[in-house]
Amino acid sequence: MAPEEVLRALARQGLDGAEVFLKHGRSRRLELTVGGEAAVWSEERAWAVRAGNRRGSFFAAGTGEPPPEGPWPPPLGPLLVLPEASAGAPWSEPGDFDAPLIGESEGFGLLRTIGRELAVELPGARLLHAALEDGWSEGDLASSRGVRARRRQRVASLHVEASGPARPARIGNAPAAASLYLAAREARRFQAKALARHLADRLSVNASTTFPDELADRPLEVLLAPPAAARLLAGLLPLLVGPRAASRGAALRDPRGRLASDLLTVIDDGRLAGGVFESPLDGEGVPSREVVLVEDGIFRQPLLAWWQADGAGAAAGETSGCSRRASWRDLPSPGPTHLYVQPDPRISVASLLGAVGRGAYLIDATGGALVDLEGDRFALPVCGFTVRAGRAGAPIASAWLRGGVGDLLRGIAGVGRDLTFHPLDGMIGSPTLLVTGLTLARD
Amino acid sequence: MPFSPLDKAAVARTLSQIAEQPEDLVDAFFERREEVELAPEDEAPGLRVRREEGFAVRLVREGRTWLAARDRVDGKSFAEALRQVARALPSATYPEPALAPSPWSAPPHAPELLDFPAAVARAVRSHHVGFPLRITVRRHRRWVQVVGSRVVPEPESEVFYSCSAELAWGRHGTLLPALGGAAAEGVASACVALFRARQAAPPSPSREAVVLAPGAVAVLLHEAVAHALEADLLAQGGRPEAALWVAMAAAAIDVLDDPASAPVGVRRATDDEGTPVCRRWLLRGGVVEQPLADLLWSHASPALLPGAGRRGSRHLPPGPRSSHLELLPGQDTEADLLAAAEGGLYLEAASRGALDPLSGELVLSFPFARRIRGGAPAEAVGPCRLRGRVADLLSAVGGIGREARPAGAGWCAKGGQKLAVWATAPALRLSGAEIVP
Repeated sequence: MAPEEVLRALARQGLDGAEVFLKHGRSRRLELTVGGEAAVWSEERAWAVRAGNRRGSFFAAGTGEPPPEGPWPPPLGPLLVLPEASAGAPWSEPGDFDAPLIGESEGFGLLRTIGRELAVELPGARLLHAALEDGWSEGDLASSRGVRARRRQRVASLHVEASGPARPARIGNAPAAASLYLAAREARRFQAKALARHLADRLSVNASTTFPDELADRPLEVLLAPPAAARLLAGLLPLLVGPRAASRGAALRDPRGRLASDLLTVIDDGRLAGGVFESPLDGEGVPSREVVLVEDGIFRQPLLAWWQADGAGAAAGETSGCSRRASWRDLPSPGPTHLYVQPDPRISVASLLGAVGRGAYLIDATGGALVDLEGDRFALPVCGFTVRAGRAGAPIASAWLRGGVGDLLRGIAGVGRDLTFHPLDGMIGSPTLLVTGLTLARD
Repeated sequence: MPFSPLDKAAVARTLSQIAEQPEDLVDAFFERREEVELAPEDEAPGLRVRREEGFAVRLVREGRTWLAARDRVDGKSFAEALRQVARALPSATYPEPALAPSPWSAPPHAPELLDFPAAVARAVRSHHVGFPLRITVRRHRRWVQVVGSRVVPEPESEVFYSCSAELAWGRHGTLLPALGGAAAEGVASACVALFRARQAAPPSPSREAVVLAPGAVAVLLHEAVAHALEADLLAQGGRPEAALWVAMAAAAIDVLDDPASAPVGVRRATDDEGTPVCRRWLLRGGVVEQPLADLLWSHASPALLPGAGRRGSRHLPPGPRSSHLELLPGQDTEADLLAAAEGGLYLEAASRGALDPLSGELVLSFPFARRIRGGAPAEAVGPCRLRGRVADLLSAVGGIGREARPAGAGWCAKGGQKLAVWATAPALRLSGAEIVP
């Protein structure tokens, strides 16, 4: 069924503002647990309609084909506003959109290899749970305002939980645990050996119970590896996304608009080449594009959807297609697609590490950032190593990185070239960051 | 019942064709769901309706599971899914049973939702306060039919409500068996308490006596007893049956999972695998008696009883989960509990909980608390967390209230499968509980 057929039927019922979204897709999920293994094939076929008239609006969604004649829910509440059709820049669909889904034996092979390599890297370590999902979808969108769009997506995700060797009874026998959650365009991009090494590092660090007191509660030089830096960036999204972002960050900016160190540039780009969600259009059919949010430390504009910009004041700035549809069940909602700290291709991680005299190399965050913008403070649970004279030393587990939000942004003293993205609120990316003036505290 | 017209005998016969070995488990799971949502009054679209149906076919053989799911219910899709789980060649054909569920009823009608936000606003005003409040209220309905190769249980259905209230100072979310005056007053009271605690400072780290109200006990039970006794999580630390007869809590603690005595709308006779549910004693006298298990885990560990298999969606295999937890009442009045915790904290409602299954470390988060003074909850205290090892927390129970009350424990999202979980519990006093801001 074509979405236009449903649009015509809605118009006949007096619902003259309407949008019809049809979606179908397939996915394969392969799961290893301590109890066995599971292979799941899913086929999805569903639709969503937003429609309204002068009396109000409704949202209806369901599986199968939409019933053109309804019955539809009664229109209630505020009027529905839909975007107009607009043309975006030319775009070529990446070739890997057509790559076949990972096979059952190939996928289980990848998961088992992670387990084997983990046991080699850290004897006694084992996988508790590993789930690999690989899928594609196609969506057709049409609206009464002339939007006609077709979107394809190809996304794979990997979630792994592992435990380390048993620990001595004096520190509790429970082994250390660590987990990974990653996304890529297709499952074959996940590198088993590298992932096993990362898990082993995390388990080794988490097995430690000591906290280096010489680092406690004093300003440090801190090297934030991409997973930890991305978590912090995700915590700072209220400063960067939506019409209230500018006012939230006002107290952190100087009179010239400087929010951060001049080494910091933050970008959101829905059509980022190679990105997991790369698409020329967003979930409402609005063209996506690159938007510079912070440039050389100066706040330029927040990330705004077409209906959020007021052209002046706090919500000034160019809009972009940034409405996401988490699934056919969900209404489009604005947010980052690929939001990232621009890397510096000249700076290696080794050179940043070498620049640390006395501080810490934080390889991961063990939870989300707690950010209090009004109180100008943040806390991030982290793990990593001490660093002295550019060399990594003792492990640091169960620690909190703390400081002022302004101090964090202004304290960025180095940006590496190793940009990687993490599935948080959208894909959030950062290279390794060197930050001064933050403190570490025992959990 | 939407699945009454299905030719279940034909489905069972078709399933039996892929059960090649005596120990094979083969079943089909048919599901229909409806969610009707009334958005906050300033948000478009006003009414939101989601309706879905589909099925999954599953084959379990020697610890390996194959599952194929579809977003439609018809004979052709069923035969295709069957071929997928049997890993048969495309040329293999299976019969296409007659599968035509009854059509959806005409326009979704949920008038009880329309009145609820105004009822909450009136209830807030009756507390002599006023503040902006955005209410989202939803009705959830679900119909389930399981067909096995040997057994075809009766269909099951569920209906309940959820409500989310957003204030400038936080959010209150709850599950409700029904909407009405009492439900509106419950939501309003929780919002007023959040409002009144808006400027309260968090407590300093301490070890002290706390009294958990039934709503907070529900979350404690879910995290500390139910999750800790799920066979799949127990297996991460070794053999699940090794937990049997282990003393895990104070001797006064009796905890059951009984889906058949849940609130009327969500009461179940069988689980999502079609197995009859039972009144399962998780802890009797503080000792582990019967962990939560589904068919897969009861097959691997025969000492475990199935009947606790739940599915968040047809697109994922079932897993062992609780449905309706009960903490049996003790002897204490609420006044006794509060008097014995003088100077400590009264914890009314937990906003979330998390259990590390390997270490047994539990953290419950509270948006606010109240200091106990003169045997009653007094001034508000800001956000705080209760933490400790499960065994230590459950051994620190110093008193159990004598009046058990229904309390929705909330949404559980373990393994990405979002499920409503319920509880009936009295208040509880813990001594020497670790409180951190």
